[in-house]
Amino acid sequence: MRCAESLRVQAYFDGELDALSAADIERHSEACAECRALLEDLEQVRTALRQDVTYASTPPALRARVMRALDQESKVQRPRLNSERLTSWRSRPFWKGAFSGIGATAIAASLAFFLLAPPLTNPLLDDLVSAHVRSLMPEHLIDVVSTDKHTVKPWFAGHTDVSPVVADFAQQGYRLIGGRADYFDHQRAAVVVYQHGAHVINVFSWAATEGSLPENTTRNGYHLAFWKTGNLAYCAVSDTGWDELKGLVQLLQDLGAHDNQ
Amino acid sequence: MDDRRRRFEMLVLPHLDAAYRFARWLSRSPGDADDIVQEAILRAFRGFDALRGSDVKAWLLTIVRNCHLTAVKQQQRRGFVPLPEEHDVQDGPALIANTPDPENTSIRRDEERTLDRLMSALPEEHREILVLREIEEMDYREIAAVTNVPIGTVMSRLARARAALKARWLQEAEGEPHAVR
Repeated sequence: MRCAESLRVQAYFDGELDALSAADIERHSEACAECRALLEDLEQVRTALRQDVTYASTPPALRARVMRALDQESKVQRPRLNSERLTSWRSRPFWKGAFSGIGATAIAASLAFFLLAPPLTNPLLDDLVSAHVRSLMPEHLIDVVSTDKHTVKPWFAGHTDVSPVVADFAQQGYRLIGGRADYFDHQRAAVVVYQHGAHVINVFSWAATEGSLPENTTRNGYHLAFWKTGNLAYCAVSDTGWDELKGLVQLLQDLGAHDNQ
Repeated sequence: MDDRRRRFEMLVLPHLDAAYRFARWLSRSPGDADDIVQEAILRAFRGFDALRGSDVKAWLLTIVRNCHLTAVKQQQRRGFVPLPEEHDVQDGPALIANTPDPENTSIRRDEERTLDRLMSALPEEHREILVLREIEEMDYREIAAVTNVPIGTVMSRLARARAALKARWLQEAEGEPHAVR
């Protein structure tokens, strides 16, 4: 029979428990051999899936097809008549076109719970998310490609105003893939780029100004984690899970604290 | 380009790869995945005005999943014979731009194939939840939203899916000692 705590152990592994319950489970797994084995199994399956499964990315032909379909759709939605609209009128009853928005309304209604998150207005958050999204476009991700911190760190010295913590954490699942310079908040920020499974994590760093950093937040599907080390402000941005993003933040904070001593 | 379209490209299209990965794993067929993704993006574009929150990715993947389910239903109605469970997935998904590591590349490829095959052979319910949790790294709440089940079901299903993959993996390791670590 399985241990009654197995689902909570899994939730602990997935970073879904609050600190108190997490401590509880840690104590429990010290005593319960079955749950210790479960934790090992979970880790093994995760590592295998994140390292050894093929991550398909959108084929360029499909991307082009999607863009063309969007072009068509934008045309149809425009109120003015064009030739294409006229020909399509003949082949189908007019009300089909007139009511094509109903499907969209249904989706909107069923997704009403997505509206609950309040809109945020901090321009720094906008800048960071835009910079992250921009970096995901082909050719924009990396200025200096390297998995070696001894290549990336000196490169920043010539191209940015700051010298952030750089390290490869491939062992822990965060592979250093390079660096980039980005201009925002009136300075040349340094961006260290990591890969975690199928996801890119951009770690921005800039000279911290007076005042506090924004709280950790989620925007447009991207998590933003902020922290300060010494006189540098950092922000890690990605669509990884929160737990996974915080894992990298913890590693960088530990390393930063060590460097500052 | 109008403003609405620009906003859509800024907010939703960055998640195109996630949508494609999810469609690939759901349908196990590149051709079907293409159709699902195109349909999903169009539906998303039509329903885009209602999107205000920050859960863009969960929202888009929900639509991808619905498009997949619709496609399956249509195929069943047409008497289409579903793909065999052991469908071959090796026919060319483009890899994410990994910097090549020559020593590990060939070993890595073998392991990828083994795991791809094991994943493909899992029941859809299991495959889906493993992709959402381990590859898309979504939390329980997001997975519950995408798969349209309560969080309790997410937890029990995830546990069963992980156990099932592990079991098949062990089976494979016994059969072919060199194929798996």
